Amino acid sequence: MNATSCPRTAPEVAAYLDGELDLAHAVAFERHLEECPACARELAAQEALRGAIQDHAAELRFHPTPAQTERLRRAVRQAGGPAEVPAFRQWRQLSAIAALLLVAVTSWSLGRLWPPRPAAGLAEEVVAGHVRSLLAGHPADVASTDRHTVKPWFTGKLDYAPAVIDLAGQGFPLIGGRLDYLGHHPVAGLVYRSDRHVISLYTWPAAYTEDRAGPVPEAATRQGFHLRHWTRNGMAYWAVSDVEEDRLSRFARLLAGS
Amino acid sequence: MPPLGLAAGGDTMSARVADLSALPTMPILFRDRASRRDGRLHRFEAAVLPHLDSAYDLARWLTRSDAEAEDVVQTACLRALKGFDGFQGANPRAWLFAIVRHAFHDWLRQRSRGHEIADPFDEEIHTQEAGSQGEGPEARLLRQADGRLLREGFAALPLPLREAMVLREIEGLSYKEIAAVAGIPMGTVMSRLARARRQLQDFLIAHGAKEPTP
Repeated sequence: MNATSCPRTAPEVAAYLDGELDLAHAVAFERHLEECPACARELAAQEALRGAIQDHAAELRFHPTPAQTERLRRAVRQAGGPAEVPAFRQWRQLSAIAALLLVAVTSWSLGRLWPPRPAAGLAEEVVAGHVRSLLAGHPADVASTDRHTVKPWFTGKLDYAPAVIDLAGQGFPLIGGRLDYLGHHPVAGLVYRSDRHVISLYTWPAAYTEDRAGPVPEAATRQGFHLRHWTRNGMAYWAVSDVEEDRLSRFARLLAGS
Repeated sequence: MPPLGLAAGGDTMSARVADLSALPTMPILFRDRASRRDGRLHRFEAAVLPHLDSAYDLARWLTRSDAEAEDVVQTACLRALKGFDGFQGANPRAWLFAIVRHAFHDWLRQRSRGHEIADPFDEEIHTQEAGSQGEGPEARLLRQADGRLLREGFAALPLPLREAMVLREIEGLSYKEIAAVAGIPMGTVMSRLARARRQLQDFLIAHGAKEPTP
């Protein structure tokens, strides 16, 4: 070790002196001090400096004069006291809030009177997505009967995790999953089989489409395809298939009630 | 700098302090406004005003002027009052320091005297000359420095070093608290303090050595 310099240098000495080294480092540093005159001297110098500062701490600290203190306290009291906010400002705030409230109530009522009907257009999209997958002969991007394979496949492809439920025991074996693009969002499509028929089950966060459907599956038919639509735990579900209506109802009830 | 084991991390607090100073107050209507404001003012005065002297001390060291220090503290107090509803931390003193510091830097910018902080201040330049003073009487010399000389030495430090040194040596803050107040990592606190002490030592030795000590 060079007698006049040491790579550990002042920062570690300062941290040691300030009691800011954790125990392990403090012990290691003390061991180092025994064999490093540079650090020992640095520590002695910093201790001397600290001692001098502490001796003169009172002289080093600035205090506001009583007049300054009084002015500062008065400024706070004026700013925080009731007199500071003039009545007209309260009225301005009040009227601004009232106006906002009016706008909010009005737009809410308009929304109630003329609800958007995303479901109508979405039903077409759901059928189109299902038909597209059948036309391509490619109902599933990930073909697996194991929901533990299908569910992780969506990770990183969607910003939500679709529930993947296996209904093989009820006669609807899972055959895979695919990505689709419906309602202006990439969505999860799960593919089930019922005998020779394919059922597509789309699911996405209900908020995507401001879905107001209830938990009981609603029935619809488009171009000969049957649809069932419901929401559950904040997720929207659409089941679509050319399977007989009873089978699809049973499928939907199993999922909606499970 | 080699990674050193500092005693604790300062992240949570620094986030809290930074958030709070920016919080606006939301008017809550339908309550007796006057009495609510009275209660709020009372709580503010009880929590924050005991630290008025500390705030002034920091502002005075940063501005190096009595009048400017008062202005900065007043600005800071009014901002603190404004953001007080959002303050839930356990350390109103450090919170006030952070606001004083912000108010000071705003004042500095307004006065277009930014050159003091705009000075290139390289955190990476460490005190390589540690121990280069040679053997001998520096510890004794330092120990004998008087209040006036120390004051001059503190005042001569560059702003970031002065700030760290005042918070540590005069106001007694921990590294973690300084990191939160100044919005810098703990390692930077450590290296700034080390540089500040080095410079202060050099200053005291250079100026103290001229005068024969009794």
